[in-house]
Amino acid sequence: MGLEEKLPEGIITTQLETLVNWSRENSTWPLLFGLACCAIEMIATGSSRHDISRYGSELFRASPRQADLMIVSGRVSNKMAPVIKRLYDQMSEPKWVIAMGICASAGGPFNNYAIVQGVDKIIPVDVYVPGCPPRPEGLLYAMDKLRAKQGKDNFRTYANLNASPAPATPEDIESLETLRQPQRA
Amino acid sequence: MLNVSPRQRPYETLPGLTPLGIPAVAPLPAGESDDTQRLVERFGDAILAAGMHHGQQVVYVKPEQLVALAEFAKSDPKLQYEAIVDVSSVDRSELPADGARFHAVYQLRSYARKQHLMVVCPADEGGDPEVPSLAGVYKGAIWPEREVWDLMGVRFAGHPDHRRIMMPESWPNHPLQKQVPVGGEEVPFTLTWSDPEFESFGKQVMAAESLPPVVPPGMSRENMIINMGPHHPSTHGVLRLVVELDGETVVNVDPDLGYLHSGFEKTGENKRYKDFVYYTDRMDYLSAMSNNLGYCVTVEKLLGIDIPERAERLRVIMAELQRVASHLFWLSTHALDVSGTGMALLMYATRERERILDLFEMACGARLTVGYMRIGGVSRDIPPAFLGHLEEFLRAMPIRISEYESMLTHGPLWEERLRGIGKLTRDEVINMGLTGPMLRGSGVDWDLRRDAPYSGYEKYDFKVPVFTEGDSYARYLVRMEEMRQSLRIIRQAIDNLPDGPYRVEDRKVTPPPRAELDVSMEALIHHFKLMTEGFQVPPGMYYHGIESSKGELGFFVYSDGSAKPYRLHVRGPSFNNLYAVSKMSKGAMLSDIVTNIGSIDIVLGEVDR
Repeated sequence: MGLEEKLPEGIITTQLETLVNWSRENSTWPLLFGLACCAIEMIATGSSRHDISRYGSELFRASPRQADLMIVSGRVSNKMAPVIKRLYDQMSEPKWVIAMGICASAGGPFNNYAIVQGVDKIIPVDVYVPGCPPRPEGLLYAMDKLRAKQGKDNFRTYANLNASPAPATPEDIESLETLRQPQRA
Repeated sequence: MLNVSPRQRPYETLPGLTPLGIPAVAPLPAGESDDTQRLVERFGDAILAAGMHHGQQVVYVKPEQLVALAEFAKSDPKLQYEAIVDVSSVDRSELPADGARFHAVYQLRSYARKQHLMVVCPADEGGDPEVPSLAGVYKGAIWPEREVWDLMGVRFAGHPDHRRIMMPESWPNHPLQKQVPVGGEEVPFTLTWSDPEFESFGKQVMAAESLPPVVPPGMSRENMIINMGPHHPSTHGVLRLVVELDGETVVNVDPDLGYLHSGFEKTGENKRYKDFVYYTDRMDYLSAMSNNLGYCVTVEKLLGIDIPERAERLRVIMAELQRVASHLFWLSTHALDVSGTGMALLMYATRERERILDLFEMACGARLTVGYMRIGGVSRDIPPAFLGHLEEFLRAMPIRISEYESMLTHGPLWEERLRGIGKLTRDEVINMGLTGPMLRGSGVDWDLRRDAPYSGYEKYDFKVPVFTEGDSYARYLVRMEEMRQSLRIIRQAIDNLPDGPYRVEDRKVTPPPRAELDVSMEALIHHFKLMTEGFQVPPGMYYHGIESSKGELGFFVYSDGSAKPYRLHVRGPSFNNLYAVSKMSKGAMLSDIVTNIGSIDIVLGEVDR
């Protein structure tokens, strides 16, 4: 039909958006970053039996600058929250977040002074995975859900995107209270 | 509030309470032992009370004489309490007792005499509560005392490094004090999509903040100070190390903990005894079964119940499988950190570890956070197919261990990275209060399974591997041999697995079988009472340590007679073992820090608790 009939064999046509999304879907590199029990299941997902490389995500990058996906695998303590926020800000766009397990999603069994009740209080989350911890299959299913979401991305989203605020210098920070304020003056 | 509190039983007079007018009230020991007698003879009036309590030697001592008592207990040839394994504390403000509000509780250990001594010291009131520090006598007290100061607010006079250890320096309170609330948030229960709660999900983005960098005391800015972690692939979790470097040589290391502090102890004080079992899974999440076992055994000792033979054997099978699984995970990540063959080994070891997790799944339905054990037994019997699969695993595993050894043991790279790295002498490991493979790698022949048996371990025939080199290589050899010995124990447990009940028949502790609920009103009442109120534990205190895969996992439970622990303290082996990282790494290369962390085998969930 149309152009494709005139092209030699081995050439296909597609939209640039689809092509970009296709490549993003199939090589989402997670950040090498574990917090608690869920991190062990994340490692299990990455190793021999479950083999996350079928999804093109076997390359866990230690540097946030090289990662596309942050898997928040475990409970987020008050002391850790600023670190996670900083890591998220250091990741380059486009970036996605999976809240793995109930602790990262909503605090889980740790409804106490030490734990932030859900990582979505500090960073935006794309996929929540229930479970304590979720099985590796659960995480793989979350990756599937994320792929579906990535497939629907369009460039317009990024055109109007406000760049993340520049990470604060350490001197700016006094306490957790400043972290809890939604917007700093 | 959401947490429905169980009905509190009014506080009872404690057993053994004698009208001596002693300020240190509950719980008082009765009777005496040779050791307590010797301490009473030596210190006279400074001993407030001494004797046996729940079969443990307990001494109450005035703070003025605490250091002298520790020195005497350590050096006296008839006592030889060479090590301190734990320091904890109790806030007694909610007990109807007079005297000091805070008690510091010390657990002393004699490896030579196989004895355990609990020392309780009421803190001086007047301004901040204060007790003298034992850091001068036992190095192993340094970190636990910092923890007590951080979480309980008891000062330690003469402590060399009196900082907070878990919470940020700016934290406003000491969370374990009784007047401090548990915290947390109300959980919204709503099914309406128009609820504003749903609107905010995923949109609460805030500015990036981080804690101000502080140069730890004792470090000089003349050298290079680098920050390792909390996000670092080789720190096995969210551990932060501040490292002072001269070139590539490590001058000083200061570990910064608390990035995974989850308030387990405070949570435990607000949960019923039976409900805390599931929390223990999440402490050392690589050995959930061992954590279950340690907690259940401690509470059972306080309850004074004996569990059936079959349950004990099942517990041993699970705990030993867990030890193998934990060591496999340690081996694979350690090899990944230090050696080029790492990734392959991670894949191989995971293969075997998954088989163990499959077995757990058969028994209880979960892979990692198992929650299999219950106070009074185990949650359910093993399915019929379990033993067949276990047999198969036992046949395959020794060959696999040999395979791993052939990949590593004589590998030049492996030897180069491990031999002579992180060397600790026998005296050092004892003084620093290290346990588990850290002890056995440095020539201390000590294993709680053999030397202070629990859960029927005295019935098994196994060897305790001991190496004297004290380096990372020796600890590697210890753990490899421990895996083989664990398989031996499992084999013996299967061979002698009797039929019978898998939990105690005491209806006050374990629920009746489901079938009974349909026909018996009494069973229904028991079930209702147990599920709504839990069971009450007689007043008293007890410290019990088990040999977890990382070392001595201790639980200190202080009961006031209600259905919730009044004070619950966990002695995480990783926490005490991690103290050694500074000593091991000083003067070594930067890359050796990675070897040392791997060799200690830490799990941050247990370090930070």
